[in-house]
Amino acid sequence: MRKIETSLAALLNDIGVFYVPKEWHFLSVNGIDLGGGKIELQWIFSKYGVKDEIVIYYALSDYDTPVPSIVDLIPSAIMGEREIVDMFGLKVDGAAKGLYLDKDSMKYPLRGEA
Amino acid sequence: MKKTIQIPLGSQHISLLEPIRFKFECENEKIIGVDADVGFVHRGVELACTRSFEFKQVGYVVARVCGLCAITHSLSYTLAVEKLLGYEANDRIKYLRMLMVELDRIHSHMLCLAHTAENAGFEALFMQIMGDRELIMDVQEAISGNRVQFDYISIGGVNRDMTPELTALIHKNLRLLSDKIDALIGLFDNNWSLSLKYKGVGVLSLKDAYTYNALGPLARAAGLATDVRAETNDFPYETLGYQMILESSGDIHARNFVRLREIVNSMEICRNIIDNLPVGEIQEKAKGKPNGEAVVRVEAPRGELFYLVRGNGQNMLERVRIKTPTFSAIPAMMEVFKGSEYADAPAILASFDPCMSCTAK
Amino acid sequence: MFRSMLEAFLNLFRPIRTHRYPAEEITLPTGYRGLIEYGKEACIFCDKCEKVCPPGAILFYQHEDGDKEYRYNPWLCIYCGECVRACPKPQEALWQSETKQHSAVKEEGVNEGWFVWEAACKESREEYARAKKAGKIQNKSEE
Repeated sequence: MRKIETSLAALLNDIGVFYVPKEWHFLSVNGIDLGGGKIELQWIFSKYGVKDEIVIYYALSDYDTPVPSIVDLIPSAIMGEREIVDMFGLKVDGAAKGLYLDKDSMKYPLRGEA
Repeated sequence: MKKTIQIPLGSQHISLLEPIRFKFECENEKIIGVDADVGFVHRGVELACTRSFEFKQVGYVVARVCGLCAITHSLSYTLAVEKLLGYEANDRIKYLRMLMVELDRIHSHMLCLAHTAENAGFEALFMQIMGDRELIMDVQEAISGNRVQFDYISIGGVNRDMTPELTALIHKNLRLLSDKIDALIGLFDNNWSLSLKYKGVGVLSLKDAYTYNALGPLARAAGLATDVRAETNDFPYETLGYQMILESSGDIHARNFVRLREIVNSMEICRNIIDNLPVGEIQEKAKGKPNGEAVVRVEAPRGELFYLVRGNGQNMLERVRIKTPTFSAIPAMMEVFKGSEYADAPAILASFDPCMSCTAK
Repeated sequence: MFRSMLEAFLNLFRPIRTHRYPAEEITLPTGYRGLIEYGKEACIFCDKCEKVCPPGAILFYQHEDGDKEYRYNPWLCIYCGECVRACPKPQEALWQSETKQHSAVKEEGVNEGWFVWEAACKESREEYARAKKAGKIQNKSEE
């Protein structure tokens, strides 16, 4: 497992350079609440045909900063993005609310208890 | 004037096992656009894992995410926590865990084949496959003590040991099943009316499989060589006769065949496991509290199951991320629907083997 | 086609695969994970089973004289056997039998009764702790 730090501004560029569809399998987008309004976002990839090669791009952010969408690069990321929109109440371009929760729900279950 | 009509499929529909809603945008009989709603059975398992249960109990909680892949869920969670505790299981534990996962794969694939047959209009074949599936269910019940919720894997080992009577039972049932699978392979390959419903229907091309990150049998039917069993070092699959099953056409027929051949391969792995079971303890002490971050991938029957567990040295975990196979297969699924006939939609859907309880968790 | 007709004909004489369930009892396999049973004589009241139980199906009521009372909800239990593995005296104080619990009926008050019991247990613990604390303070002041 390799962890590479990036930022929200540089994310699209980093992943665009890194991601080759025939080499890398995109796993998911993941969010981890760090408490105090901070959140760690992760984009997880694994390599085809190689043992235990996982690369995680991560960026620190807060609840209000819009997260860039990587759907243009990786179409299947839409599910993961919709999930973090639902669960953390983040803003992602083009990802609609309402994958799991109600469309007008004001709850963000996985946010910290602050 | 609008030229298309919208036809919904679900959330309650005769061909569906679990609630999912598709909105098909149709032009005459052709589907040109799809919209899916998958969140009907959301239960908030990820939240419960971090707020209500201690890390030793979470293994039994995540097993309730899904009835069919209960064993893979508890296995991947247990592996993640064991990585955090710095513990590695001995060979006997590994072999017994593998045995349960492979048995699970056999009966899950058979369920999928049965439903593909049913949704293509073959009730009798559905009944027959479901009846044969009982052979494997009986074995699992005898090993773990329960039919659906096995609760077989716990942190530090497995809960029950293998006995000579069990070994004999597994050999007997696998032998019985082996003949039936051979007959099924012949049937799925040669039956003319089955081939009308399956061949060339619901095609996922190799290019699309790469673009939409298809996984599991869906990807292998399209010729994309990906299998977590070959991509991790957690279990000694290569030494036990594992082979990657690949087809190239990517239609329903290919997906059925990937499943059938994987059943044959899994049966061989099961036999090898029982015949070469190492000696050792089945339950060891894994002490400490999870601290740090671990990722685990396990090949569930439907594809790759991914767990990310983060702990901070306390009894409660900080984050448990569950990424289930169907969840990431949905974009590829929606792509397959485009361009096919509306009447084929139930059969195509069943051939994906979708598991909504996993997806919405 | 002839083969399928022959098969259909032969199926008339093959054994039936299903059980006539309510009329016939289903035989449970040996090693079935059934009810958790309890032997009061051997129990040392360490509360380990209560702590590890994932759904919280085992609870101890704290009496004022220091005794504890074991209570178990078979309809909440998931039969994982974690309590038996945690028990310091397995097979004597706590063990897993092969009997199957019958389905709950309304008269047994499964939910209501258990909620009342859960609250009573919690309260009895708190009260006991308070009484113990007060007792300690009293003892100290007497000394």
